[in-house]
Amino acid sequence: MGNSLCLYVNSMEQEAREIARGLRRRDPDLLDDLIGRYQYRLPRYLWTLTGSREAAEDLFQETWIRVLEKSHQYNPRWRFEAWLFSIARNLAIDLLRRRQPESLEALLRPGDERAEREWPDRQSATPFETAAAGEQAERVQGVLRHLAPEAREVLVLRFQEDMDLSEIAEVVKAPLSTVKSRLYRGLDAFRNLLEEEG
Amino acid sequence: MNPEVHERACRLIDALHVEGIASLEREWLEAHLAECPACRASVRANELALQALRSNTVIVDPALVSTTQARVRLRARELRENQVRMRALGISCALSWVLGVASAPLVWRTFQWIGLHAELPKMVWETAFALWWLLPAGAVAILVAWNQRRTANYDGYSTLPR
Repeated sequence: MGNSLCLYVNSMEQEAREIARGLRRRDPDLLDDLIGRYQYRLPRYLWTLTGSREAAEDLFQETWIRVLEKSHQYNPRWRFEAWLFSIARNLAIDLLRRRQPESLEALLRPGDERAEREWPDRQSATPFETAAAGEQAERVQGVLRHLAPEAREVLVLRFQEDMDLSEIAEVVKAPLSTVKSRLYRGLDAFRNLLEEEG
Repeated sequence: MNPEVHERACRLIDALHVEGIASLEREWLEAHLAECPACRASVRANELALQALRSNTVIVDPALVSTTQARVRLRARELRENQVRMRALGISCALSWVLGVASAPLVWRTFQWIGLHAELPKMVWETAFALWWLLPAGAVAILVAWNQRRTANYDGYSTLPR
């Protein structure tokens, strides 16, 4: 058990170092591979964060351009996804601030009309919209939209992206204790809302 | 049931998925769950909630991925070309500095000779000599500023279909 855990950690570190080396070289094949590898997880996170398909698509592209431009800043001590998601998060915050400068929370408030309107409609579903067009996905996103944005974000990072608490703290730039309390509150609220929905 | 015991169980049930619990606590919780239907229901509700969260899958338009890959490749090429240009510029600056230092006495004598033959005041030909040295630096500064402006104007959208 201990040995396999050690092997797993070593292989993760090795992978992070290889990614860092490739990024420093701006290796196009590595970038293609990374884009393909995160083609589901990154848009899902961005979609949850912004509540908008179009924004998620734009930010997906912008995130990878930013990864390329900041490639020398990646530190292999951290898992690549933590760095990637923190870049994506910063871009999402910038975009939302540009759209409506008063507050990020206001944009992502439960029952936000814009988010409701932009949720995929089955009749006009594009291939991207088929992303979450399944009934279950629709229901889950509907419930998530009713949570506070901070809680929604940490729930997605913890239970969809399987990040550990320190990585989440790094991505959302909040203390570990704050991340934990957001997770407890978020999970509790999500469970209750799901039960209410039946 | 003792409310404190129940409260502890609720705390551990929540912590189980959020930050994990120690093996001793897990054993205690398992024993408690065996005799507490309310806590078992709470564990089940948590599991269902997490299952729902994890089942939330996203399928992306393959065109988005290929467009992103093309944009990134294009930008990577631009950055590499830019890097080569900057390196060439650095080498030229270094060479120019070495040549400038090596040829300084000769250039000084040339300016002195022109000054004497044209009967210019010493201040004029000395100023001209100083300006002569500033010329390459000025040219390089203009080149660098132009290059930075060109890079800053890049938006990546102009060359690719969206």
